[in-house]
Amino acid sequence: MASLFTKTKLYIEANSKTWDDAKVSLQDDMVDGVSSPYIKIWNYDGLAKPTAEQIASYETAGNAAEANAAIDATRRTQYLSWQQQMEMIYKDQKNGTTTFKDHCDKVRSDNPKG
Amino acid sequence: MYIGKTPTVGNFQVCDAISVVNGQAAYTLQVGGANVAPESANHMLVSLNGILQKPGSSFTISGSTMTFASNLATGDVIDFVQILGNVLDIGQPSDDTVTAAKLNNDVISGQTALTSAPADTDELLISDAGTIKRIDVSLVGGKNTPAFLAKKSSNQTISDNTATKVTFAGEEYDTNSAYASDKFTVPSGEAGKYTIYGNLQLQANGGNDLETGEASIRINGSEAHVVANKFGSNEPVKQGISFMATIALSVSDYVEIYAKINSEANADCFVRQETSGLGSYFGAYKIIT
Repeated sequence: MASLFTKTKLYIEANSKTWDDAKVSLQDDMVDGVSSPYIKIWNYDGLAKPTAEQIASYETAGNAAEANAAIDATRRTQYLSWQQQMEMIYKDQKNGTTTFKDHCDKVRSDNPKG
Repeated sequence: MYIGKTPTVGNFQVCDAISVVNGQAAYTLQVGGANVAPESANHMLVSLNGILQKPGSSFTISGSTMTFASNLATGDVIDFVQILGNVLDIGQPSDDTVTAAKLNNDVISGQTALTSAPADTDELLISDAGTIKRIDVSLVGGKNTPAFLAKKSSNQTISDNTATKVTFAGEEYDTNSAYASDKFTVPSGEAGKYTIYGNLQLQANGGNDLETGEASIRINGSEAHVVANKFGSNEPVKQGISFMATIALSVSDYVEIYAKINSEANADCFVRQETSGLGSYFGAYKIIT
């Protein structure tokens, strides 16, 4: 299930605005130890606070966004450090090889987005 | 210099009459039927047959026994025995007559030392605006209570980028039973300044993608102190955030801890319980002012 943050962010972006911590804040008071997040603050001019139904409508898109975000996170790890990438680029330029491109292609093919 | 009669200082006593026993040199000294022991022969006036006796040679003293230099005989008369007394035994001083200068400096150090912490009802002397009073130890210095400490007893899932109340079910101590339902409430009569402290062990769910983390102290539902970390390009998988603040609280004010975590992967994160040590914890104590 997509998080409230993801779905709310998609709602905001679908209405041509961007997430702004000063305008929107989510909260979960763990009442009786049960998680139940909700929109605590909403201060977007010209954009109404989304209803529960509007939030729910972004469930599928939210799941896809979170899956892609997870893939991006995995790719970032597998791309290795920027020092290692610079080393590959330098050697490719020096030796006329494609090690860096091959490495990036493999990371992307190993972790395809939906 | 005195006007009138010089005050009597000393413990002067006249011994009970003593009957001479023929051929006996030693006699027991009594006052009012009770044995008395002079400090020495020099502290006495003894008259035998109308003649004052020289201390040390005509008679000696051992405890309450006075011994003449030779046995007395029938017809000898012990006229009187006066004990000049313990000349420093001045009896009971009058009110307000013992000044600080009359006290020896070992008045405290000369006493038996207490070798363990005093009981709350043990008492001390104190000058209350110039008047000496006694006071219970429990009222001196104060105590840092109420005080409590609680830690997480299991991992707690935190929705991404959502300020979430952190639960701390593992109560370590709670002096005033003021911590319950994951919040501390100031008990009746305990308003004051409190130091609130703790640590949150944040962890991403999966890869190394913690972007930001916040810990906030909330008083009656409102943020009173926030510690925010932006982890930048490091994006660690686990990071601790410690917080501490001293805040004035009123009776019935309640304190809660909220965590907010933003992960690069937009995935749920955790506030961790650690298998050793306190891990994620929340505590507070009243400071002495």
